[in-house]
Amino acid sequence: MSITASGIRRAAPAAAQGGHIVVRGLTKRYGALSVFEGVDLDVAEREIVALVGPSGCGKTTLLRCVDGLIPAEGAVLVDGEIVREPRPGIAMVFQHFGLFPWKTVYDNVAYGLRMAGVESAEIARRVPQFISLVGLAGFEKAYPYQLSGGMQQRCGLARALAVDPRVLLMDEPFAAVDAQTREILQFELLRIWERQPTTMLFVTHSIEEAVLMGDRVVVLKGRPSRIHEDITVDLPRPRSRATFTLPRFAELRERVWSTLMSEAKKAEFQVGP
Amino acid sequence: MRRETLKRHAPFVLSLIVGAAAWEIVGRHTSVAFMAPLSDTLARLWQLTRSGELPRQALSSAALFVTGLALAIVVGMPLGLLMARLKWLREALDVYVMVLYATPMVALIPFILSLMGFGFAPKVLVVFLFAVFPILYNTIEGARSIKPELIEVARSYRSREWALWREVMVPYTLPYTMTGIRQAIGRALVGMIAAEFFLSATGLGQLIMTATQSFDTAAVFAAILVIVAAGVGLMRLGRMLEARFAQWRT
Ligand SMILES: Nc1ncnc2c1ncn2[C@@H]1O[C@H](COP(=O)(O)OP(=O)(O)OP(=O)(O)O)[C@@H](O)[C@H]1O
Ligand SMILES: [Mg+2]
Repeated sequence: MSITASGIRRAAPAAAQGGHIVVRGLTKRYGALSVFEGVDLDVAEREIVALVGPSGCGKTTLLRCVDGLIPAEGAVLVDGEIVREPRPGIAMVFQHFGLFPWKTVYDNVAYGLRMAGVESAEIARRVPQFISLVGLAGFEKAYPYQLSGGMQQRCGLARALAVDPRVLLMDEPFAAVDAQTREILQFELLRIWERQPTTMLFVTHSIEEAVLMGDRVVVLKGRPSRIHEDITVDLPRPRSRATFTLPRFAELRERVWSTLMSEAKKAEFQVGP
Repeated sequence: MRRETLKRHAPFVLSLIVGAAAWEIVGRHTSVAFMAPLSDTLARLWQLTRSGELPRQALSSAALFVTGLALAIVVGMPLGLLMARLKWLREALDVYVMVLYATPMVALIPFILSLMGFGFAPKVLVVFLFAVFPILYNTIEGARSIKPELIEVARSYRSREWALWREVMVPYTLPYTMTGIRQAIGRALVGMIAAEFFLSATGLGQLIMTATQSFDTAAVFAAILVIVAAGVGLMRLGRMLEARFAQWRT
């Protein structure tokens, strides 16, 4: 893991950042159930790929494979190395937040660094930086149950960002928070990404969120599921609220929508953010 | 302010006064062979304390109690965590835990006597057996209720097995273990007296037995009073610790 001395304050990403994901012929079976088959996917360094698909199509399962948490047939490589178990520099943000309820915000954010064996002086320096980066300054001593859903996910985000990952795996990170908070968090994540672009595989149920965040939107569907479409999002960055008003945004949203809807599964999707 | 506190504790204080009065009155109207009134008990308690007899015996009992309970914690908690973590171990030992938890431990005392004799060790074993199962049982139940998602978070951050125990399993399970320890305290006190009665007579158990034989009912009640006070105090302490370790739970 490259925990640089300049930490998050570095202006431009280091040249040797890495974070190139290659997925080849990935098939995951649970007994007789085949979740997905022959998934091929490339995510370039600093690219954000949004992954959408109906509930149960295997989005979380795919992320868990890329994180090395579960085995599958085929291959997952990050920067040329085969992923068989969780690797340094790949961090996941969980839909259920995954905070440890007995740890304070501070200790939750410090957790990844401690597991990575970062020395305590460095931890003491980095943790407050990331806590304030996600806007949780003043809540260091709070326990998760004392925080709103949005604040809990800020904490989960800080924990993942603190280890200075090459790859961020985001599993519907904002699905469990209310609409306003969700929008705020989307733009904050974009702001953070602009400061330090990290490769991101971003699972979401929201088509708008997929188009807003992604450089590409990948549609996973079918039973077993496969990648059906790979839509390039040619919207300018930095993206902001104004992005929503672009005609091109509406076009792309419709495009993703119709790909998803080509098999009638309409009830499962929300158009809103 | 003082008034408010007084009001809040009034039922408790009143009930204590009524209880003490009832003890005194009933004690005065019953044969001394059966019961001593509160005043006599307290007087005898003071005497026994001043003569050094009571502190000596209480200390001897405390040594037994603490050793047995400490052993039960030291064995019960790690074994419980291990049984929660290792499926095969759990499946192998579950039935014994259940059976022994349900067994009235007093019934095992003659067996322990014939096996180990009269020393300190067999008495510690009795206290241990009384205390270990609630700790073990609650620890297993607690550790098994850890959300698998959190274990996965730990794996995702490349936690080693030891770190998983230290950072996840132990802190999560501790409040459950504390519940077990609180239950174990009561049982360990019973075990302590039972061991002192049925194995070699020592400590408060011995004090009660010799006092009974010499019809010194006030001394019997004095000893019981000490045990009850210790029990109540320890339970409160247990509850406080439990709350302390469960701070993060809503
Ligand atoms: N450990 C497991 N054992 C058996 N089946 C599983 C397991 N994990 C997931 N599945 C199955 O795999 C399929 C895909 O699950 P997954 O959670 O990846 O879907 P998803 O696309 O993330 O859905 P959602 O959008 O609701 O989060 C589901 O049918 C699920 O039941
Ligand atoms: Mg999912």
